[in-house]
Amino acid sequence: MLDPVILAQILWTGIATSAPYVLMTVGFALTLKVTGLWNFAHAGLMAIAFYTMFFVLNGLEWPLAAALLAAAVLTGAASLAIEVWGLQVLRDRGSGNLTFFIFTLILSEFIIYVITLLFGTEPETLFKSILSPVTIIGQVAVSDWDKVAVGVAAGGLALLYAFLAWSREGQFLSAVADNARLAELYGISAKRAWRVVSAIAALFIVAAMYLVGTHGGVVPNSPLELILTAVIGTLLGGIGRVFAAAAAAVFLGLLQSFSILVIDSRWQNLLLYGVLFVTILLFPRGVRLPPLRLLLAGR
Amino acid sequence: MLYPTRRSVLGAATLAGLSLPSVVRAQAKEPVRIGSALPLTGSQAGYGKDFDTSMRMGAADVNAAGGIAGRQVEIVALDTQAEPQLGINAANRFIGVEKMPMFFVSWSAVVKAIAPIANREKVLAINNGANAPEIAHLGDYVYTTFPLADVDVTKLARYMYTTLGKRHAAVLYINNDTGIEAAKLYRDTFTTAGGTVVAFEAYDPKATEFTGMLLKTRAANPDTVHIHGLTADTPQVIAQMRQLGMQQRVTSYSAAYNPKILEQLGPAAEGLIVTSLAPGVNDNKNVQKLLDEWKAAQNRVPNGLPYDQYQYDMVWLTKALYEYLDKKSLPATGDTLKEALLTVKEFDLPMTGKMIIDGHRVNKPVYLLTVEKGAFVPLATLT
Repeated sequence: MLDPVILAQILWTGIATSAPYVLMTVGFALTLKVTGLWNFAHAGLMAIAFYTMFFVLNGLEWPLAAALLAAAVLTGAASLAIEVWGLQVLRDRGSGNLTFFIFTLILSEFIIYVITLLFGTEPETLFKSILSPVTIIGQVAVSDWDKVAVGVAAGGLALLYAFLAWSREGQFLSAVADNARLAELYGISAKRAWRVVSAIAALFIVAAMYLVGTHGGVVPNSPLELILTAVIGTLLGGIGRVFAAAAAAVFLGLLQSFSILVIDSRWQNLLLYGVLFVTILLFPRGVRLPPLRLLLAGR
Repeated sequence: MLYPTRRSVLGAATLAGLSLPSVVRAQAKEPVRIGSALPLTGSQAGYGKDFDTSMRMGAADVNAAGGIAGRQVEIVALDTQAEPQLGINAANRFIGVEKMPMFFVSWSAVVKAIAPIANREKVLAINNGANAPEIAHLGDYVYTTFPLADVDVTKLARYMYTTLGKRHAAVLYINNDTGIEAAKLYRDTFTTAGGTVVAFEAYDPKATEFTGMLLKTRAANPDTVHIHGLTADTPQVIAQMRQLGMQQRVTSYSAAYNPKILEQLGPAAEGLIVTSLAPGVNDNKNVQKLLDEWKAAQNRVPNGLPYDQYQYDMVWLTKALYEYLDKKSLPATGDTLKEALLTVKEFDLPMTGKMIIDGHRVNKPVYLLTVEKGAFVPLATLT
């Protein structure tokens, strides 16, 4: 099992399969950073995104571009609606964190329940075939899905970085995340920032669910399991550190993949729960590595 | 003017009643209610709902033929989602609320969960779709009409060794009641036949990524791979196998005899060997009739056709049991129905053919099918 080709294959597949988790974790972590909320409604949005694409592709038999566009519009609209007519109402009432938590979780359950009534509970994939052509690169099997997954995740992260670092709107998000009241004093609208972040999160969710739905079967309940990785990644990366959360999602993917070398495959999913417990107990503020320059200086 | 007397009215009514077709008379009597616990929602609903439809088709045909001992059949189906806890709820409902002396149940985990209740309440629980070998040891009131994994899995493992000449097998299985025991059976039979099981790997029922497990398997270099999973995961395991360049011949059991698997896998399904525990269209002309009914009603073939054949037949089996009770003037209780099952013992059923109840087991021929040019075709019949 310690053959370099096998290790390289596990490494590559681990990175590729963590791509959808990276995208949903980034959406979740960014929302938490800017709004300060653990928005579990993302599970419901994941379900909306997947089943919109599924319906457009298989029900209407429209092309993929139309499916992606429809999912982006519908998921974005749902995300904005939750922000404007749900979360903002609770903020205006001065509701506590527990109320937000319950509201978003129940909302997800409600959306998933409605989707179950509409689409049933059979596992569905976006395309009829789940096979993806494979290229062998240096004895490592690289599927087209792997390439798309890594490309979409890397592209999404790069665009987000550029948006946050160099756009005026992105800098406003950072300002609101740091201190919403102070930002308001400088004329930056916190409400607008919260709406922008809900739209951005919706786009990341659509991208993630496209990758999930082209790789294997999805049932209406799947998002409630998928969001667990986003939560663990966010905790592990440290609240407010979006790109560290993305790295944590990759770490979780690799941990699960490489664990096969030492544990039976049936225990792989249990690892996630183990990491969740350890993170909450030992690293409540996330795992903070020393800055790279200090590491390079050997300090 | 002549007025009808009370006696003439009664006589005329009796005559009229006797002259009515048997179907109409059957409708006048208390119906025979058949309990069926199936996953009507959840990840297994693709099968469960089709099983329910097939059982209802069986009921319609029995009713059209005069019902059970002159009584109409009524199916009472309850949802289990293939989950033990919901199965227990269904069993309690059948026994406590519906007052049924017998009910049918499928999915290994559910059958195991309801067994203590059936035994305690002395209600006959008949498995008609699950295949975990332990079902044969679940107690005095739990019987099976569906052959357990020790029938098809053992015959398949021997076939792979003796007929196809495979010597190194990998066994990949879902870590639940469906997979664990069946995988052990395959391993033990293949090993006893003289082969070597080079990889024996379980995967989590919620897993969607199998690369690590498959790489471990690839390193073991098997010449055949047996997958004992469910409909949701088996195609994904095969797809990921092929993507990792593993071209070994794959075998599975009757759950993989499913048209959806061909859609999802396309050319990657070629060569797949599956089992069927019921005769196909070429072996039994009644099967075509069931398929025609399906096409007329649903415009498609059912998921897991062999299972559907058993579901259809259970109504006919119930008819045979009740006719035994009527002949002996016995009331329908768990005990009397059990007595009927074990005494009649041999049933000639329209879709699955002759069924002999051998204590807590049934033995049936195993029909092997393989995928050729995108369709399942008969490969061998193992008796």
